[in-house]
Amino acid sequence: MTGADAHTLARRDRRFGYLLTAPGLAALMLVITFPLLFALFTSFYDYTLLNPRHDDFIGGENYLEAWEEEYLAGSFWVTLKFVLASVVIEFVIGFSVALALHAVNRFKTVYYLILLAPLLINPVVVGLLWRMLLHAELGIANYVIGLFGISRVNWLGDIGVAFWTVVLVDIWHQVSFMAILLLAGLAALPREPYEAARMDGASAFRCFLHITLPLMRPVIMVALLLRLIFAIKTFDIIFIMTKGGPGTSTDLVSYFIYRAAFFGLDIGRASAMSVGLLVIVLALTTYLFRYMRSLR
Amino acid sequence: MARITLQGITKTYGQEVVAVDAVDLEIRDGEFMVLLGPSGCGKSTTLRMIAGLEEISAGEIRIDGRVVNEVDPADRDLAVVFQNYALYPHMTVSGNLSFGLRLRGVDASEIERRINVTATMLGIEGLLGRRPRELSGGQQQRVALGRALVREPVAFLFDEPLSNLDAKLRSAMRTELIKIHRDLGRTILHVTHDQVEAMTMGERICIMRDGRVVQTGPPLEVYRRPVDTFVAGFLASPPMNLLNARIAGESGALVVDLSPVRLPVLSDREEALAPGRDSAITFGIRPEDLHAEPVPRNAAPLDVEVVAVEALGPEVVLIAALPGGEEISARLGRDFSAPPGSGVRLYADLERVHFFDAGSGRALGEK
Ligand SMILES: Nc1ncnc2c1ncn2[C@@H]1O[C@H](COP(=O)(O)OP(=O)(O)OP(=O)(O)O)[C@@H](O)[C@H]1O
Ligand SMILES: [Mg+2]
Repeated sequence: MTGADAHTLARRDRRFGYLLTAPGLAALMLVITFPLLFALFTSFYDYTLLNPRHDDFIGGENYLEAWEEEYLAGSFWVTLKFVLASVVIEFVIGFSVALALHAVNRFKTVYYLILLAPLLINPVVVGLLWRMLLHAELGIANYVIGLFGISRVNWLGDIGVAFWTVVLVDIWHQVSFMAILLLAGLAALPREPYEAARMDGASAFRCFLHITLPLMRPVIMVALLLRLIFAIKTFDIIFIMTKGGPGTSTDLVSYFIYRAAFFGLDIGRASAMSVGLLVIVLALTTYLFRYMRSLR
Repeated sequence: MARITLQGITKTYGQEVVAVDAVDLEIRDGEFMVLLGPSGCGKSTTLRMIAGLEEISAGEIRIDGRVVNEVDPADRDLAVVFQNYALYPHMTVSGNLSFGLRLRGVDASEIERRINVTATMLGIEGLLGRRPRELSGGQQQRVALGRALVREPVAFLFDEPLSNLDAKLRSAMRTELIKIHRDLGRTILHVTHDQVEAMTMGERICIMRDGRVVQTGPPLEVYRRPVDTFVAGFLASPPMNLLNARIAGESGALVVDLSPVRLPVLSDREEALAPGRDSAITFGIRPEDLHAEPVPRNAAPLDVEVVAVEALGPEVVLIAALPGGEEISARLGRDFSAPPGSGVRLYADLERVHFFDAGSGRALGEK
């Protein structure tokens, strides 16, 4: 085959490839790219639900407003606290569970199934479920702690408690993701360095420190980044359980934006804030992909 | 220095699998012992039990007389070189070498001295700052060896450390290991399934099959006097020709009946074979004991038909068919040639033939 032949062949292959992907791409355009561009476009207009028209171009004013918005800054801090708390605790619990499960030989499948169960539940259902369990008067949680003589906790209504309740529910829901990802990483570790370390006289703790941690670093990074990206976007359980309250104690950015759009009716400003959130998530995702590529 | 004694060492996995079955073996102080056997025969398991990486199901392992069954691997003062090197992936070469020493609390200047000595001995001084994945297979192998050497243990356990190297490097490393053994004089147990390694490196070799020891002895003795057909067929390449035969009497003297060919039995072997007269045996002769010209003493002619001629350079391996149809191979001088299908007369060196019981495969009437 000559070079030119190969060239046309490659070109034909490429054209055929485009043809095959066209329907999928078109669908993606419709449901993702279009809303995205629409939001971006809208974020530069004074577009409200009272006047849903792109007739008042105001440049970066929506962004400026959002930037100066005191409540958004508060919501931003709540989100940051939420993301850090849930991801860090999930990591610690998830890694411990993964290490424990890794050492187990029998009934592994059973543990896997139990671990996977929360992940299989729709977030909205998780929220509803826990809202019932944690109901201040009727919830089973308060009944159970009552048996031990502990007085009732207003899980979702107390301003100091609600935040941690939401964090705990998120951990309950998502910790398996961390555990399973890390467990897969542990299972893929080579066995030999551990044996070499045993011959060298390393204790279990030293093995963990000098072999497991360094070898697991890529998996840990990926797990943390993935959970970080997902946690920043958390919306469902807030929407179902606390609606951002009490006060603004669980008012995550995503819920704040939702309120701006559908209670404040200011779509333009909500769009501007979503674009901001998108930029943050996008930056993290880009970093994640860069990192994963650097591993190869 | 250490003498390692295995007594009835057994390893079972679950109810069914017996990986190592009542192995008795004594590795003398300072000896280079090779554990040889086909894949899956339990060599690694044996070595790992000695190292303490695998629990012992039954039996006793002693190091210098002390039973070590329950002793922690780190306290047995042995060093293992693993087949796939098992370097610490994220540590530099010098980190790999020093890790065990640091854990043992050896002081920094001594660590430095030992690393330098070892690195120089293995020619890896230039690699100390690199990580394992920046090294070639041969270099990693040296580092793995170095990690064992710096520890200055009482004995070394090698689990096929050369099997991932190319032929040239492997032969160079063979020489190097022999030299290291000579210089350090430490006990070495070297596991391999490569019989060239076993023959060239071992002071003694121990041949295993299906978890059992079949024969232990100096390489040449095992080569000259294999205790059964397994050892005969395993050692050397091409292996010994093993042919079905009968011992028959012919006017008083015994002959080997390869029907239709008959070969005389030398008188000094008759005594051992006489009880087996008229019974089936396995007759063995090594390819190198078949010659194209008559040997000085006690050669018997054997007319064969050429099947194939494999010219290897320094020698020619002739594959030929006996009149009865069985195929044999012969190692002949490099100038030998014959077209396939032609008849050739070979001469069997009768002083170097082997007889085995047809049923059990045990050697009969070895001198
Ligand atoms: N964890 C295990 N569970 C069950 N059987 C095992 C286990 N480890 C090893 N075996 C069995 O024990 C036998 C001996 O294994 P071993 O690794 O000692 O063989 P080997 O002689 O080192 O072989 P190779 O030359 O291929 O390394 C094999 O039949 C193997 O299948
Ligand atoms: Mg092995």
